[in-house]
Order: sequence, then C-alpha cells, then structure tokens
Amino acid sequence: MPTNPKPQRIRDPLHNLIEFDSSQLEGTLWKVIQTRPFQRLRRIRQLGFSELVFPGATHTRFAHSVGAYHIARRLIQIIKRYLLSNGIQLQDHQEKVALTAALVHDVGHGMFSHAFEDVGKKLKLKMAEHEHVSDYLIRNGEISDILTRSLGSGFANDVANVIGCGRPGNLYDAVVSSQFDADRLDYMQRDRLMTGVQNSGIDFNWLINNLEVGGFKIGNDEQESGSIETFVISNKAIYAAETYILALFHLYPTIYYHKTTRGAEKIFSEIMMRLINLVRDDSIDKTALPINHPIICFAKNPDDIEKVLTLDDTVFWGALPMLIEADDPLINKFSNWLWTRKLPKCIDIKQKITDGIGANRGSSQKEIEACKKKIERVTISVKESIEELLNTIKSNSLMDTIPRLLVDQADRHPYKSFQESKGPLNQINIRQGEKILDMAEASQVVAGLKPFSLFRAYYDADDTDIKKQLDQIIEEKLRSE
Amino acid sequence: MAMRERDEVAKIVRDAGGQIVGRTRIQKVVYLLELTGQVNGFDFNFEYRHYGPYSEALSDAIHAADAFGLITEEERTAQWGGRYSIYKASEELERLIENDRVRFIKEAAAIDPVILEIAATAAYLYAVENFSDPWGETQRRKPEKATPERLDRAKKAYQKLLGLKTPQPLPAIA
Repeated sequence: MPTNPKPQRIRDPLHNLIEFDSSQLEGTLWKVIQTRPFQRLRRIRQLGFSELVFPGATHTRFAHSVGAYHIARRLIQIIKRYLLSNGIQLQDHQEKVALTAALVHDVGHGMFSHAFEDVGKKLKLKMAEHEHVSDYLIRNGEISDILTRSLGSGFANDVANVIGCGRPGNLYDAVVSSQFDADRLDYMQRDRLMTGVQNSGIDFNWLINNLEVGGFKIGNDEQESGSIETFVISNKAIYAAETYILALFHLYPTIYYHKTTRGAEKIFSEIMMRLINLVRDDSIDKTALPINHPIICFAKNPDDIEKVLTLDDTVFWGALPMLIEADDPLINKFSNWLWTRKLPKCIDIKQKITDGIGANRGSSQKEIEACKKKIERVTISVKESIEELLNTIKSNSLMDTIPRLLVDQADRHPYKSFQESKGPLNQINIRQGEKILDMAEASQVVAGLKPFSLFRAYYDADDTDIKKQLDQIIEEKLRSE
Repeated sequence: MAMRERDEVAKIVRDAGGQIVGRTRIQKVVYLLELTGQVNGFDFNFEYRHYGPYSEALSDAIHAADAFGLITEEERTAQWGGRYSIYKASEELERLIENDRVRFIKEAAAIDPVILEIAATAAYLYAVENFSDPWGETQRRKPEKATPERLDRAKKAYQKLLGLKTPQPLPAIA
C-alpha cells in the first residue's frame, strides 16, 4: 500500500519557511524539484552578471522558482475563497496546473538567461530560448514522467500550455503569467533583498490581503467584446499597488538595466557567438577549449536537449581560464575583460540626446509633448546613422576582427495600459465603489509613467576614434533639430 | 532617400482613406497586407500574441511615423470604458491613387476590430502554425471572443478580402 510522501521544508532568505506537505500534489512537486533539469537551476544565477555590480546577487533560479511556487499558493487561496463564497465550483485541475506551472516556469533557462537567449536569436538556435527548452523539458523526460505518474496523462501538457501561452487565458493562468503574477511578486522582492538596493520595496502582505476577484469589461479598439473575471485590488490598497508599479519602474534602471551588467552581457554574447561560429567553421582549435567541452558539444549539436542541459553559468566561468588563451582575438580579448572585470566604456546615447534637447522643457503640456517627440526623432535618426556606420565598418573589415562598437537598446514599461498589453487578465485592476478600473485609469502617477528606455554603446577605452565618430553623429543630429 | 518602415506605415494609413481606428485594427490590416505580399520591401516579423498576429517592429514604426509627423495618433475613451487610438495621415503625404492595394486596405480597415482579429488570427494559424482547421483553433484559443456568430461574420469578411486582387493570394480558408 503506497504511503503518503514525507512533508518537506526549505529555508528561504525571502519567505523563511517554505513547506511541502504530504498531499499528492506537493509530494509530486517535491519529486519534480529533485530531477536533473530542476537541480540545474541551482547553477544558474537569477541575475546573471549583476553580481559584478551587486556582489550579494548570487541567488539562483532554483531559489526563485521555489519562491514563486510559494507565492502562487497564496494567490490560489484568494481564488478559492472567492469561488467558495460565490457558490462557484472549484477548478481543482486548473489549480494544480497553475501551481505546477509556477514551480517549473523557469526550468528551461540557459546560462546567463537573457544574454544566452540573445545569442540564440541571432544564430537561430531554438534551444537557446528558454520557452522552447521549458516546453520540451515539461512535456518530455523526468519531469513529464513524474507528473504523468501522479497526476495523470495530459497533465504535463496542460502545464506546458499555460507557460508556453505567455498570456493569461483564465483567472488561474493569471497566477502564472500577468502583471501581478507569482513570478514577479517573488523576483521583485528577492532581487531587492539580494542586491541590497534600498528602493523598490513593496507592501506585499497588504497587497495580498486586499486582493479579490471581480468582473471586468473587455474590448478591441472602440468595440466592446465581452467581460471576464480577474484579480482586483480593493481601493484600500491603491497606494500599495502604486508602490508596486513604481518599484518595478525603479528596479529596471537600478538593477536589470545597469550599464555594467548590460555591458558584461554584451561581451558574453559576443564571445558565445564567436565560439559557435568557430565550431561551425571547423576551427575549434582557435577557441582553446577541448573538443569535449560542454560549450563545444552544444555548438556542434544545438538541438540536442542533453547538450543543452550541460550548460549553466558555472560551465562558462570555468571555461574562462582557457578562453583567455584563445588564438581568436575576440575571444581572447573579451574573455580577459570578463575575467578581470575590466569592461568596455559606455556612452549613454539616450542621456546625451535628452540632455541636448532638455527633457520636459516647455511651459505647457503641448511644448513638453513636442520636446518628447523631438527626443524620439533624434534617437531614431542617431540609431539609423549608427547602423550605417557599423555597416561601413563591417564591409571594410575581415571576419575575425573585433566589433568596435556594441550597441545596446531596450525598452521597459513599468505598467502596460490595457490597449498595449497581453490582454485584460494581464492588467492590475482597482475596485472603486461599484466600478473596477485599470490601474492606469485609477492612478495619475501610473498614468504618467513613461517607458524606461535605454540606448547605449560600448567601446574599448583605447579606441578614441570610434567615440569621436559617435559623438559627431549625436551632435549632428541634435543640431539638425 | 531610402524608404523606411515609418513611411510605409504612413502610406497605409493614407490608403485606408486617411485614418485607421485602433491599434488592433492597424496591426491586423498590416498583417493581412504582408501575408498577401503588399508591404513594400519590409518584413515586420509578426508573431502570435493575445490579440492574434502582432508586430513589435510595426508598433515601433507607428511611433516613429508619429514622431516624424507623418501620422498623428489621437487617444479616445471608448463607450465600454477602455481607451483606443485613431491614426490620421499627414496632409503633406502625396495624394491617394486608387489601386488594388488601396481597395484591399480600405476593405480590411472597415471591418469590425473583433471580427478582423478573428479573421487575421485564423489566417495566421493556417499560414504560420500550419493548422488544418484554423477557425476551430481560433475558437479554442479565444473561447469568449470567437462565438459562432462572430466566427460566421469573420469568415464572410475574410471571403470578401479573398475576392480582391492581391500579388499573393490569401490562404483559401473561407
């Protein structure tokens, strides 16, 4: 006769005690945690190269995944309470799927997460994208076997569908993927704690305590298309909700988009792309890595899941002492930069343009808007001129030369208003009396937030010529406005 | 000077009769144009999102067109409570010449946005994700939106587009 699994406990720096009881679901998920793909997450840092800036930020995707599961359980309790008090039947299967998805949502992340994905996109390596790897690992192999044995055939596929979808289709999915999901609620607090930054705190317990479920109208453009049920925050927590959104807004420039971290990611991407291209060109000897090194094996068979699973942050750091001996000039130089943390210089192009024009200059809203459009126009023009410059440099160089300029561009909106986002269940909604409002409508602070956008270029400190050319482009475009 | 994505977006808005109402609508109109080989020299790289085919590059091009004064974007509040945008072409653009592309754009931009989303999604699921029953898959993915009545209207709207002359035919799914 099968016995109930033994309860288990994990001590966590953010949530303290995370318990797994002897229920069938939690016993099964404990087994999932013991699998090889899940244990690999212990060797992938949540914040990749951020540790070069914040020495404490060495926490892993393993700890974050368990934390996200812990928060998902609390969100599910809110859904249950609402359904029971309204006499609506509980959706036991959907609940289990959402909880499992919260635990395994990051299982496919590769080394240095997004930096490796960037390599995958450029070289069209499907298995460098975490969505594909997660999907594969959940539907096949150890994780799938455990889920199927305990929770039935089709369960693993349902979990993969919720994660792969990337946008909430029902209330339970919003626990896994929305602007108020378990993933974000964990990483925002964990990343703040581990980096040591003192801004970006959130009033987590108050937010959760004021979370309800409510009906919400939806539409396309000018046309209403129906209504749905979603998470709603009561009016008493409106300022906590505002703080939550502002906290995310601050985390981006402070941590995620820190210029040094992004510079290291760029260098890593360049090294990896050159390594893979050299393997493809049958020039492994120029990499200084042995032929059985996990990176070389992956480059030879990028679609082989076994090769993908051998890659993690430690494999790359362990390869660096060999890579600094490489014959290839790019690998040699950039590996030395990472090894000694002597990173390239950064020019904040966006800042230069904004300073040149003057953000928010003007006495009326109309003038401020005109000023913003001017900044946008110059930014686009500079980007186009840099592309032309890089194309000229490329056409005049040999294949194995080192790129003189690494351009970095990204945008992040702290809160996407309904029209721009992934759907109505992705929103943060506030109950105000009988009405339910989108956060961007309920809060002037949130309505006024603009995306954080970065536009930077990295160059070798000794290459003063390229810096001069870049400065000239910016000055010229500013003058033409 | 080389034609850029933002110029193409402005021409599409002009060709729709001077304006396109809604972000969903402009995305789907351009997707159907791209699918039929009527976008000049650009690949907007559409991917599947909550509202069906969506292109980040197109969204950037719309912002750029607005910043350079080629189009203007006005935000309004809809009766159902949400907000939506109206894109208007600049009067400085050269005058509209009636041709097959213009007829296609006008027809597509006149479709109700929910119906257009369903039709464009079915086309995407057939063309990109190789579903043999794209309407059934659309219904599965959008159970609240793709009601039998709306699916019927979307198929009729799609049939009308199929009847128009295009460089590459729309997938024959209706």
